[in-house]
Amino acid sequence: MAKISRRSGRYPALRWRKTRHSNRAVTEEPGDDSMGTFVIEGGRKLSGTVWISGSKNSSVALIPACLLADGTSRLENLALIRDVQVFARILKDLGANVDFQGHSITIAPNGFSSWKAPYDLVKQLRASYYLMGVLLAKFGRAEVGLPGGCDIGPRPIDQHLKGFKALGAEVRVEGGVVKLRARLLKGTSIYLDIPSVGATINIMLAASRAEGTTIIENAAKEPHVVDLANFLNAMGAKVLGAGTDVIKVRGTKSMKGATHSVVPDDMEAATYMMAAVATRGNVLLRNVIPRHLEPVSAKLREAGATVKEEGDGIRVICNDRPRAVNVKTLPYPGFPTDAQQPLVAVMATAEGTSVVQESVYDNRLGYVSELIKMGAHIKVEGRTAIVEGVPYLVGAPVKANDLRAGAALVVAGLSARGRTEVHGTELIDRGYESMEEKLSSLGASIRREE
Amino acid sequence: MGEFEETRFFKVKTEKQNTAREIILEVYRALKEKGHNPVSQIAGYLISGDPTYITSHRNARSLVRQIERDEILEELVRAYVEQYGDK
Repeated sequence: MAKISRRSGRYPALRWRKTRHSNRAVTEEPGDDSMGTFVIEGGRKLSGTVWISGSKNSSVALIPACLLADGTSRLENLALIRDVQVFARILKDLGANVDFQGHSITIAPNGFSSWKAPYDLVKQLRASYYLMGVLLAKFGRAEVGLPGGCDIGPRPIDQHLKGFKALGAEVRVEGGVVKLRARLLKGTSIYLDIPSVGATINIMLAASRAEGTTIIENAAKEPHVVDLANFLNAMGAKVLGAGTDVIKVRGTKSMKGATHSVVPDDMEAATYMMAAVATRGNVLLRNVIPRHLEPVSAKLREAGATVKEEGDGIRVICNDRPRAVNVKTLPYPGFPTDAQQPLVAVMATAEGTSVVQESVYDNRLGYVSELIKMGAHIKVEGRTAIVEGVPYLVGAPVKANDLRAGAALVVAGLSARGRTEVHGTELIDRGYESMEEKLSSLGASIRREE
Repeated sequence: MGEFEETRFFKVKTEKQNTAREIILEVYRALKEKGHNPVSQIAGYLISGDPTYITSHRNARSLVRQIERDEILEELVRAYVEQYGDK
């Protein structure tokens, strides 16, 4: 186990080693002390093929779900990203045996006996709140610190707690820690006020070992909800209706270990699609599910790009300056909030004026000030960005303030004239595997400086 | 001329019917090979439209998207009625 730094109180910085799939792979020790920078010489068209990794949002639900089983589970097609590593560390701290093999992870819950999640790690990761549902289902008890993650505005977990209460748990929040206790979790009907992905997943996790059937109405329909349902079904639970707004979970007393391949990351794919358009490039994305990308594909087509399916891939071609488009972010299958920032980076050099409304989160336009440093003409009014396209951006030193904002600044840097320095690679590493290597293979000039 | 003197009836399946049936069976086999419950996974796909229900094993995920869901449903109902319906 890694020693925690006395100065920062955090785990030491991430170290990387080579695997057969990638030049880099995460070690077993997560951390975020190092402040890295991507140095980009912009203006090069992206061209070639890029392999999309397993979904971050799925992985951070599937990894804790492994603890529900009595036997060993294996997750394949896992992205080698920091959030995955932090979660693996949390599971180890809880007593599970965790072993990485390239892009796969084996998790054996034997030895796992703690219902208290380690606060130091939990606060680094928004999705650590899934431990609430898992620990409650397994032990009838859980203590998990309120989660961390990107600063994109308030993201209350009241819908999660409402679900746990409905299942029969006693819920208390004391000193920043959520404390849950239940003698017996019992299936019931739960109507979510909003189709929250986190609440839907957390209730599915808790209900999978509850007595009887739980019905979640107004459930989230995101692909990673379906991916988790597939995994829970393989483990012996019975989940019906995932991907629709009504999900039924028939709980089971014991669950077995299972092998599961993580669904491809639609948001990583969306970012590379945006990068192809921003650089007027021609990129084939492999290992994607085109249906999950339809809202993004439709918007890019509207902007003048060619987006076509090729087997399990999508090809994106853009030869001319894109046209301005108007967008409002919505829960799936609407235009995803995670693709909003990279899209604004593309619209910054589009022909005409775009209006981009962020309707999911309160504080997701903070990166706009960084794009303005690069010459973009953007005005923010509340949760709306009015983007007046300019012929080109100019490279500048900029700072990522969250994961997708960092990706947007990289997209902007790739299209800009001259040199861009994107500070804060540790935020980008949370959700993008080997971004500089993937972009370099497409012809970009990008390097990492620690 | 002799061989054409009698009226003969041929049951000709349309290309679409064959394609839908072949695809359903191929997807079923792929899901079974990967250890899933194929009936529940295909039902999940039909009600949600999300290809996440279908494994990428044996190219099943791409295959299932070659036909519309309503064509799959029609084929399933047709086969059910042929098997159990009034004759």
